Amino acid sequence: MTGEPLRCHPTIIVEDTLHIIVVMALFLFIFGRLDMSLVAALGVGALALTLLFSYRRWKRTLIRFSEKEVVIERDTLFKFKKVLPYSKIAAVNISQGLLNRIFGTSKLMININSGHNAILPEASLTFKRELAERLRGEMSRHLYDQSLPAEEEMRSIVSFSTKDVVVHSLFSVPTSQTLLGGVFLANSIVEMYNSVTTEMGAGGTALPSLFMFFLIQMVPSITQLFRYYNFKVHRQGEFIHLQHGLIRTYKTSFRISKINAVRVKSTLASRLLHRSCIEAEVVGIASGDSEGSSRPVICLLKDDETIKKVLGELVPEFVYERTPGKQPVGAWSVLRIRTLIASVLLVMAMAYPSAVLFRENASQEGLLNLAAYLLPLLTALAILAAVYAARVSYRVREIDLGEELFTFVNGILDRETVVMSYDKVQMVRVTKGPIARRFGVSRGTVHLLSSTGSKSISSGLFSEEQLDRIGDTVMERMASGKYDHRLNGI
Amino acid sequence: MTDGEEKDGTASYLRLNKKCMWSMYLGYAITYAVLLVGFILLMSLFGESLGDARSMVQLIGLAFLVIVLAYMLAAPPVFYSRYRYKITEDRVDVRSGILFLKHVMVPIERIHQVEVSRGPIDNMLGLGHVNVTTAGGIATVSYLEIAEAEKMAERLNRLIGTMLRDREST
Repeated sequence: MTGEPLRCHPTIIVEDTLHIIVVMALFLFIFGRLDMSLVAALGVGALALTLLFSYRRWKRTLIRFSEKEVVIERDTLFKFKKVLPYSKIAAVNISQGLLNRIFGTSKLMININSGHNAILPEASLTFKRELAERLRGEMSRHLYDQSLPAEEEMRSIVSFSTKDVVVHSLFSVPTSQTLLGGVFLANSIVEMYNSVTTEMGAGGTALPSLFMFFLIQMVPSITQLFRYYNFKVHRQGEFIHLQHGLIRTYKTSFRISKINAVRVKSTLASRLLHRSCIEAEVVGIASGDSEGSSRPVICLLKDDETIKKVLGELVPEFVYERTPGKQPVGAWSVLRIRTLIASVLLVMAMAYPSAVLFRENASQEGLLNLAAYLLPLLTALAILAAVYAARVSYRVREIDLGEELFTFVNGILDRETVVMSYDKVQMVRVTKGPIARRFGVSRGTVHLLSSTGSKSISSGLFSEEQLDRIGDTVMERMASGKYDHRLNGI
Repeated sequence: MTDGEEKDGTASYLRLNKKCMWSMYLGYAITYAVLLVGFILLMSLFGESLGDARSMVQLIGLAFLVIVLAYMLAAPPVFYSRYRYKITEDRVDVRSGILFLKHVMVPIERIHQVEVSRGPIDNMLGLGHVNVTTAGGIATVSYLEIAEAEKMAERLNRLIGTMLRDREST
């Protein structure tokens, strides 16, 4: 922290240039029929220009790490100077991608407390690995008044085996996504079966369906597998340290007081395995890669006992004796009426197409005759699903208003228990529709600062007085001095 | 204050100026004109290609336009009669809604930015909106007379400033 000006590692020029190569490859693929010499000349020209531009940008960008702030200054055509005071920085993290590994570099990512720019780090600086680690360590002393744990000190609260990572990757994908992926997979299997057993061929839909299944179900699973491999979570004093990743590795640290809410989540599949995972809404873990900080996981899918233990040891600030309240009877009436209205509308919308399909296929023989009844059957199934969803929604949703913390339990297929601190609430909205008004219930929405910017979390249907108590408690805590702006201000 | 205000416990809240209804009517009229022109254009350009279904589509479209018109005519008075707001030393509180009634509460402590915005129709009628930005989202106090909007923004800025100065001194 001498304040000496530093430059990023020169390999950043290669990283920047690689992007243009991808664009060029796409261009060649699309306009492959054009005169190749012209395309090649254009490509080489673009590449040379990008190299020159990246070199100039690298050469003219200087970074200073002083005792109070980080200053990034660029003196190119578009000049800029970014000053990041340590008091505004939420976290300093390190990420190492494939190119970084090849070049022996790391990305030092600086996140500030901002809802506006939470998905991307405020600054992402590439340095030689050792230098990045040293700078992170020195900045941590300024930010957290303590050193980061050494590699060998990073003992995870719970050990996560490769099996745990695989289970998390496969079963933490939202159920709706899994169901959609399943439909595409089933369709591709049927198409492939048809192509083998008949001479009609696959009709060209087997491969696109398989591709969709891969995109919807497998890509998220594989991404998570790579992201959470070798997952470690460690608490040291007031800080949580995370370390994970197979090809791109992540080292993330944040202060407990920066957590705005803790969420225990389970998908339908993970519930069948009696497992759930823990996520935290916290600013400062943005990594700027494709997944960003959309999944601030602090514990992978584990059995209920382990989850309880992790909550108690990792985030005891978000654990309290809960006395959950169920939705009142009025909520069930609202859900029933809504389902009835939705069902009537669906039947009205499907009546005409069903009649047309019936007219066209009723006289057909064999399997084709079944098509005449397909739409009414699907409509009936959709109505049954809506009735089931209403029933489960009424049974599952809970509210619990504690003294310092409050909880919403939500979900139909995928469930979540969100524990929030009154002191982190930014805004409270209570809404009641025309049907809900008749039965004296409302829906509460709490707005928080989250890892992806702002986030709203909605409750089930409860009495307006009960939901208004959230806002009143927020204000009471501020007025009575229980609220500490140094810990909870952003 | 009207009887209604006292019955639902909103006696200390303020109401909007009736001009807000004119602003809404003018805004709705423009939206409705765009919808109507879009529908007429769609039917004249693609009506033939609909074949037998043309009369059915026309009927659905007209029914939709009638429902929208009824909503646009009825909404402003309902919005006006239900809208209540108050700014106290510690919070911004807004009760509003046409079909869905909303009660929004923003602690002053959470406010990052206060902004007064005016569209062309608001300009014409001398109205403005106060947008209150927090880290968790934006709340708006709509259709205030411009002088009132400016006064409210100034008051909010003063309250935030006082709060920050108090903190610095402690």
